[in-house]
Amino acid sequence: MPKRGGKIRNWNNEHFEHDDRTHTNNTRRVSFKPGTNKGKNRFRWNDAAQVLLDGDIDMGASGGQGPNRKGFRGNRGRLSSPAPRPTKKKFIPGLLPWYQIIIPYGAKHDKEVVLRALLGFISPEVFIPHYYKINGNAAVFYVDDVKIAEKLFYADRKIVMSDGFKLVVIVRNSVPNVNVDANMKEKMKLAMAKRYNPATKALDLTKFHADSDLSDIFCALFRPIVMMAAIDIIAENIPDLEALNLNDNKLHGIEHMKVLSTKFKNLKILYLGDNRIPFLSSIDPLKSLPLVELYLKGNPLVNRFNDHDIYVSDVRKKFPKLARLDGVDLPPAIGFDVSEDVTLPPSQQSFLIDPAGQDLVRDFLTQYFAIYDSESRQPLLEAYHETATMSMAANYLTNDNRNIPTSRLNSYISNSRNIIRITERESRRRYLKTGRLQVVSFLSDLPKTKHDLMGFAVDLLVFTPAMIVLTMNGVYKEITVNGTPSRSFHRTFVIVPNSAGGFSITNDMLFVTNTTKEQDDASSSAPVAAPTAPAPAPGPAPGPAPDDTRRAVLASLRQQTGMNEHWSVNCLQETGWDFQRALFIFNQLQSEGKIPPEAFMN
Amino acid sequence: MASEVTLKNVDNACETAEEFTRVFYKQVDNSRHLTSKLYLDTGLLVWNGNGINGNDKIQKFLMDLPASNHVLKTLDAQPISENLVSNRLTYLIQACGDVTYQNDDVKKPFQQTFLIVAVEGKWKIASDCFRLQVPHSN
Repeated sequence: MPKRGGKIRNWNNEHFEHDDRTHTNNTRRVSFKPGTNKGKNRFRWNDAAQVLLDGDIDMGASGGQGPNRKGFRGNRGRLSSPAPRPTKKKFIPGLLPWYQIIIPYGAKHDKEVVLRALLGFISPEVFIPHYYKINGNAAVFYVDDVKIAEKLFYADRKIVMSDGFKLVVIVRNSVPNVNVDANMKEKMKLAMAKRYNPATKALDLTKFHADSDLSDIFCALFRPIVMMAAIDIIAENIPDLEALNLNDNKLHGIEHMKVLSTKFKNLKILYLGDNRIPFLSSIDPLKSLPLVELYLKGNPLVNRFNDHDIYVSDVRKKFPKLARLDGVDLPPAIGFDVSEDVTLPPSQQSFLIDPAGQDLVRDFLTQYFAIYDSESRQPLLEAYHETATMSMAANYLTNDNRNIPTSRLNSYISNSRNIIRITERESRRRYLKTGRLQVVSFLSDLPKTKHDLMGFAVDLLVFTPAMIVLTMNGVYKEITVNGTPSRSFHRTFVIVPNSAGGFSITNDMLFVTNTTKEQDDASSSAPVAAPTAPAPAPGPAPGPAPDDTRRAVLASLRQQTGMNEHWSVNCLQETGWDFQRALFIFNQLQSEGKIPPEAFMN
Repeated sequence: MASEVTLKNVDNACETAEEFTRVFYKQVDNSRHLTSKLYLDTGLLVWNGNGINGNDKIQKFLMDLPASNHVLKTLDAQPISENLVSNRLTYLIQACGDVTYQNDDVKKPFQQTFLIVAVEGKWKIASDCFRLQVPHSN
């Protein structure tokens, strides 16, 4: 098969030069072999030097003069050579069924003339010339059928044109170049729109590159760049797509199509027939799609199975929910009665073992983090018990490949008491800070911070007169000279009443890591809710809660606050029907005297 | 300077945390039907803000969760003053890592904090606070 490179790369340059094939230019041409100079535009294999000088080079369908041209080489039976040669050129189809057809000096004729001549030669076959254009002196177009390519290959120098020259036809295995730009995407989008059936949520992209609306661009879905652009367009416009037909698109490697499963949660029907998918394992990237119907017929992978039952069984192993394969209903599979439900219970912002602890916790944390986020953490000495202990552990997220300075946790890792790593007794003792002085001195050395208190998830686990245990989860920004990277933390306080009537922390355990992408996205999209804001900032639409649950939550809030239904509903809507949070907001606004009397009138 | 007894208690907290998390995650991932035995009868599980009180309810809640696989990456432990919890040896354990749930190969970072007490020669969970690392602000 011809390779790119070698002489062929010079081809275009050669033909940008003037046409030196004149009938009268006999003086320039020296024939070393009398009697063979029948055609002036003859292409030669042997006298390479001459050919190069003339710029009259035979590219044949060969990869040049090197060893690559095996299989293509051969004389035309006109040049006498002492060495025996194959008498007929052999056409070798390439991996992808796209062929570039180059007609040197084709620019001399009208497109119609050239095409008519070629069509006449290969008749009764017909072909569609894709992307016909003039490149220098040559006419270049593409065909997407190996049979046509072969016929055209044998048409080389068989057709005599009106100017007396024989038409040279060069066939290369080559895919048209494509640049995915905004213009192309727009055209793809329009072509897709007419192929979409909203009633069935089905998009038919069969033979997409041959779409009449895409005739001027090479929109071949087997090119990953084009496929990815197509997937982006679909995801943007039809996120709830249920059926996708990609039949007859010459798809080969589909590794990049694994994004389908993350972008289309409802995609149940996928047609991949008449493509070039080589192995059953090639479709592994699609395994997480919940497919009920799949079409694979017409791919080499199907022919690899001698036994159709084994094929069906192997496909089903990859797509356990499959009910239809290659247009045939499958007998119901006998499975095991195991739970397939992977949904996790919805999470709640906060848990309070005793609602009575709410004010205390809120006040304690507000005061604590006001100091913690300030210039000096020294005043925290007041917050810790004399024999308090504190430890901090830090670690990176798994599979976090960000290698940017702000994602480095050096200032934490060096003091991290991760006892999986710190195995020496002595070190484990040393990394545990003991006594309020040691604790506050350690805290003072940690990076400066700004915590988002409204975004805390606080779980009050123990609330007794003797002891309070609470765990916080949330994000904070580090205040550094180089920016404000976000960190995620998990922290537990064990708090006891002190002799002065206040409270002291006896244990403080902190875990620090980087924020996940979801956390970053949420914090960048969330409205900035300052703790002093007069009203809670409206959050995104709350997830639907069952009516019964809502009624119960509403009743509890009315009971606890004394507000009427209208105001209670408002308050709950603002907080996404989170009872604890609604109560928190109520208490806050109430203490600031911001709730009007009519809120309590029934 | 802390007393030798106190320091030994620090060592013991760490070693107990290692053993405890080894047992706990093995049970949760492989024999969940036995997991609630690790909790006090009056134990508390707070799972992503959902509070579940009592051994029986915890067992039921755990059984309804999809199959899991926890990988521990970070562990820390501290002793808690004994006179706070009816003079029982009490440790605070913080375990962090990644969890994957059934059929879903996404590793989710989690953080979990246990309060464990020694009762009649057995370590029991008094409270267990589990949180996936997700955005909370709404």
